[in-house]
Amino acid sequence: MINVFPAAERHSVDLGWLRSRPSFSFGQYYDPNRTGFGVLRVCNDDFVDPGRGFGAHPHSDMEIVSIVLNGKIRHEDNLGNSVVSSFGEVQRMSAGSGVIHTEFNASEDEELRLLQLWFMPKERGVTPSYEASRYDTDKLNNALLPVVSDNASEQVAWIGQNMTIYLSKLEQGKQLPYETAEGRKLYLYVIEGRLNVLGQALSEGDTAQIEQVGALELEAAESVFFMLIDLP
Amino acid sequence: MKQTFLIKHAVGGRSFIDSSKHDIKYEVSSQGEGWLFTIDVPHSDIVEEILALKDELNVFMFQEYEDKPTLKTWYYVENGSVRYDKEQGRLTIAASSCIEYYPHEYST
Repeated sequence: MINVFPAAERHSVDLGWLRSRPSFSFGQYYDPNRTGFGVLRVCNDDFVDPGRGFGAHPHSDMEIVSIVLNGKIRHEDNLGNSVVSSFGEVQRMSAGSGVIHTEFNASEDEELRLLQLWFMPKERGVTPSYEASRYDTDKLNNALLPVVSDNASEQVAWIGQNMTIYLSKLEQGKQLPYETAEGRKLYLYVIEGRLNVLGQALSEGDTAQIEQVGALELEAAESVFFMLIDLP
Repeated sequence: MKQTFLIKHAVGGRSFIDSSKHDIKYEVSSQGEGWLFTIDVPHSDIVEEILALKDELNVFMFQEYEDKPTLKTWYYVENGSVRYDKEQGRLTIAASSCIEYYPHEYST
């Protein structure tokens, strides 16, 4: 089963300094039919003006992932971390029993674009932790590259949930097979380009929620950059 | 010193209770190594929302001073500790830890 959510039908937020496309209810935007998918609670496509961002605020019992698509993000927290990340880098925070942090566009002249993802944790009340990781952007080409997973490695950030986030850049006409285990869900986000999956055509900004499908083919209708999340 | 008590949704910050905007009676007392918040609030849609989102709440106390920076205290809500007594119109929330922070100490 696949449910496609076209970009044109998605809610949008414009605060002047922040333009955001939340896939699920967030802040003042509340749709009881769009509160998450499996353990995925938040998927915001954020565009942040230079020098602007989110001031000090808390989080708890949430696995928070920031994937930088363009520009630079600066994260600072009460654990002592202060990190600037750009494209090819991922920030992961396990909020656990509580963390205070800020996120700002670290550039004075370049817009920041990031995907901000929140997941319910496997375990509540854990000791908070933070990690910034870097992946090889060349490995995105015509492959599904894991960038965040509970099965972590040097270029794959760890996360406190039984899940994996993949990124991929697929050339037009190329296909990638993917097989899901029973009971798992897949969440697709087309960052750029067009993607065909399970007989559906997805364009830039479209998302898809896939369940009860064993194997599928991801095919680039044109050159495409997308995110695939395999989650419970 | 002005003290403000807030209950907000942890996902995006929507405010449910803000003592600076609503005339509500609240108390904070020690409970073991944590705190117990007792809020007198008539039953309403807001109360139902708080109960529905009981695992996604941020509880704050802001202390604003004229001559020094605002101190914010965020409380970690214990799992399963959010309860409402309809007869008494009383909401209780237990917190097991807190973090105090001065927002101005973080760079922008």
